[in-house]
Amino acid sequence: VAASVFPLEATQPVRVPKHAAIWTIGLAGCAVGAISLTLALTNGGIGAELGEPLVIALLSVWITIAYVFGGLIAWTRRPASRFGLLMIIAGFLMFVVTLSWSENDVAYTVGQAFDVVVPVVFLHVFLAFPSGRLRGRFERLLVTLGYATAIVLELVRMSLGGFGPHNLLELTESAGAAEIVRHVQLVTVSVISLCGVGVLAVRRRRSGRPLRRASALLVDAFGLGLIMIAVLLVSATFEGPWVAQVRWATFITIGLAPLAFVLGLLRARLAQSAVGGLLVDLRDETAPAHLRDALARALRDSSLELAFWLPEFGTYADLDGRAVRLPEPGDERMVTLIERNGARIAAIAHDPSLQDESELLEAVTAGAGIALENAQLHAEQRAHLEELRGSRARIVDAGRRERQRLERNLHDGAQQRLIALSLELSLLEEKLVNDAEATARLAAARRQIGASLEELREVARGLHPAVVSGHGLAVALEQLAANAVVPVRLSVSIGPRLPEALEVAAFYLVSEGLANLGKHAAASWATVAVTRTATGVVVEVVDDGVGGADESRGSGLRGLADRVEALGGRLRVWSPAGKGTRLRAEMPCAP
Amino acid sequence: VRAVIAEDSVLLREGVVRVLADAGIEVVGAHETADDLLRDVRSRTPDIAIVDIRLPPTHSDEGMRAALAIRADHPGVGVLVLSQYVEVGLAMTLLAESVEGAGYLLKDRISDVKEFVGAVERVACGGSAIDPIIVSTLLSKRRGEGPLDGLTPRERAVLELMVEGRSNQGIADRLVITLRSVEKYVSSIFDKLGLPSGGTESRRVLAVLLYLRS
Repeated sequence: VAASVFPLEATQPVRVPKHAAIWTIGLAGCAVGAISLTLALTNGGIGAELGEPLVIALLSVWITIAYVFGGLIAWTRRPASRFGLLMIIAGFLMFVVTLSWSENDVAYTVGQAFDVVVPVVFLHVFLAFPSGRLRGRFERLLVTLGYATAIVLELVRMSLGGFGPHNLLELTESAGAAEIVRHVQLVTVSVISLCGVGVLAVRRRRSGRPLRRASALLVDAFGLGLIMIAVLLVSATFEGPWVAQVRWATFITIGLAPLAFVLGLLRARLAQSAVGGLLVDLRDETAPAHLRDALARALRDSSLELAFWLPEFGTYADLDGRAVRLPEPGDERMVTLIERNGARIAAIAHDPSLQDESELLEAVTAGAGIALENAQLHAEQRAHLEELRGSRARIVDAGRRERQRLERNLHDGAQQRLIALSLELSLLEEKLVNDAEATARLAAARRQIGASLEELREVARGLHPAVVSGHGLAVALEQLAANAVVPVRLSVSIGPRLPEALEVAAFYLVSEGLANLGKHAAASWATVAVTRTATGVVVEVVDDGVGGADESRGSGLRGLADRVEALGGRLRVWSPAGKGTRLRAEMPCAP
Repeated sequence: VRAVIAEDSVLLREGVVRVLADAGIEVVGAHETADDLLRDVRSRTPDIAIVDIRLPPTHSDEGMRAALAIRADHPGVGVLVLSQYVEVGLAMTLLAESVEGAGYLLKDRISDVKEFVGAVERVACGGSAIDPIIVSTLLSKRRGEGPLDGLTPRERAVLELMVEGRSNQGIADRLVITLRSVEKYVSSIFDKLGLPSGGTESRRVLAVLLYLRS
C-alpha cells in the first residue's frame, strides 16, 4: 500500500465542485434515468408485462441513479478523492448500456457494444476504493484488459450477427463463431473479476492489521460482488444452474454497493458526532495519557499513534519526551500534522483510509486542540527533564573522570616522588651512620615524608576510590568495613562487576554511611548489604544508633542523593530518633 | 636470593633495584609491565617476584592479576605485592589460600631499607609479610568483641608482629625479649583466641588472619 505524508496544512488545493456542475450532473442523472425507464417501458420485450425482465430493468435504472448520486455525494464530501467521479462515470455507463433497449439503431448498437462493460466498471470501482485511483501496474493492467475484452470482443461478436435488426455492425451471419467469441469474452472477464478478488484479499492481508471497520466491511462486500459477477458470467456462458438466482444476487449487490458507500460517508458524517464524544472524553479525562485513546476512539482507528512536535529539540516525541520516528512516505501508515495558530503541535500516524475522511480528522484535531497543546507542553517538559537528568548524569560522570585523573596524577606523581625521596634519605642515613645528629634529622625528615604520604593517600582516596575501578566493589568495601568504628556485617552479592559509575556511587554511599556512623550515630553495630535485583542494585547501610539523621544535617547525604539520582536511582533515609538509621539506595542497572 | 621486579615508576624501580643489590639480593629482571614480569618468572625461576599492584596499560588490576597468576602457577616463587593503598580486601585476596611465600606491603615501606629487605628475604624463603597497617586494621575490626580484648598489651604486640609474618626469633629480636618468652606469649594468645597453636609459623598466621577476617 503506497502511503504518503499527508499534511493538513500542506494539502494541495482541492477543487471543490461548483454548484453548477453538481446541478448539471444531478439533472443529467435524473434525465438519463428517465430515458432508461422510458426505454424499458416502451421496449416490447421488457415492458410488455410485469415480470422479471422489467424488475431487472428497473434495477438497472436504480443502479444508474444510485451511482450518479452516490458519486455526487462522494465528490462533494471528498473533493480530494477521485472516487466520486469514478462512481458518476460508472452510473452513466450503466445508462449507456440501457440504450440497447432502444428501438433506434444507433442507440441500440452503442448500448449493445457496452453490454459486458458493466462488470468491468464495477471491478474498476471496487479496486479504486477509496482513493479513486488504481494502485500499481497489475491493477491497471487488469482493468485495462477487462475493458478491452468487454468492448473489443463485443464488437467482434456483433459483427458476426445474431443481434437482430437494430445491429448496425453486422457484417456476416456466423452463429458458431459468435458463440465461441462470447465464451472467450465471458470467461476472460470472469477470470479478471476473480483476479480482482485476489487483489482485494492480498491488499487486506498486506495491510497487516484489519482496516478500520467500515472500510473492511465495504471491501468484503466488493469481494463478494466480484465473485458473484464471475459466477454469473461463467454460469451464463455454460448455461449452468442458478443463473437467475445469481443474477438477482449480483444485481442487488451491485445496486447496494453505492448505498454502502454513501452509508460509509454518512457514518463519517455521524462520526463527527464522535467529536462531541471526544470533547466529553477530554473533559472527564484530563490526563494527557488519555488523549491518544480518546483520539483513537473518535477516529475509530485503534492503531493510531500520537507524536508531539518539540520545536526546541527539532524532533517529534512521545508523551514522555522521548524522541520518536514518524512513518515515512512508503510506510503503510499515513501522517497528519496538526497545527494550532500556525504552530506545529503534533502529528498523528494513522490508517491511510482516514485520509478519505479529512474533515473528520480536521474536526477531531480541532476539537482536541487545547488538549493536544497541553499534552505537547507536557511532552516538552518531560523532554527538558530528561535532558536535565542526562546533563546531571554527564556532569557527575565528568566530575568522576576528572577526579579519577587527579587521583592518577597524585598516585603516579607526587606519591611516587615522595617515596623515592624517602628512600634516598634512608640510603643517605646509612652512609652517615657515624653522624648521630645527621641521622636523627634525616630520620625526622623521613617521618615527615611518611606523614605527608599518609595525608596524600587520604586525599587521593577521597578523590577517587581507585580500588573500586581496579578490583571491584566487593574488595573495596572490605577496607571500609574494616575501618569502621563499629563491627560491620558486610554482604555483597552482585555477581560480576557493575558499571563503574554505579560501583563508585555505591562505594561512596557506604563510605559516607559508615563515616556518619562514626560521627553521629553512637551505634554498636552496622550492616552493609549490596544486592543485585532484576532491574538494578540496592545498597543498604543500617545501624542501631540514635537515628535522627536527615539530608539537611550535612552536605554528605545531599551529595549522595545527587549521585544516586544522577544515575536514575533513588536514595531514601529512615532515621527515626532512637531507632537507628537506614540508608537505602536503589539504582537501575540493566541485567 | 634472586628477585624479579615489576614497577612502572622508573624512579622507584631503580631505587628498589639498588636497595636490593646493596643487600646482596640478585635482581635478575626489572620490568615495567606484568607481561614482561610473567615471562621472566617462567624463564628465570626467581625466588621472589616483587609486583606493583598498578601496572600499565590500564593501571587497574594488572599487577594483582599477575601476582595471583604467579601464586597459582609457580608455588615456589614468593610474591610480594606493593601498593600505595591499604586494602584489607586485596591483602586477603592474595593470602586467602595460604600466607606461605606471600606479602602485601605499602610502597612507603621501601624507604625503611632494613625492614624492606627483611620482608623480601622472608617471602623469598616461603614466609610472609603483611603490612603493619593492614594488621592493625584487622585487629581493630574485632575490637570490643571478646577474646582480643582479653590480650595483655605485650601479647597484643607479639600477635601483631606474628601476623606481620615475623618468625619467633624475629619477634624476640624486635621486642628485645627471649625466644622462650615469645613462645610462651604465642601459646597464651592461641589459648585465648581458642585457636590450635600447632603447625608451622605460616599456618599459625593464616589461622589468625582468618579469625580476624571473619
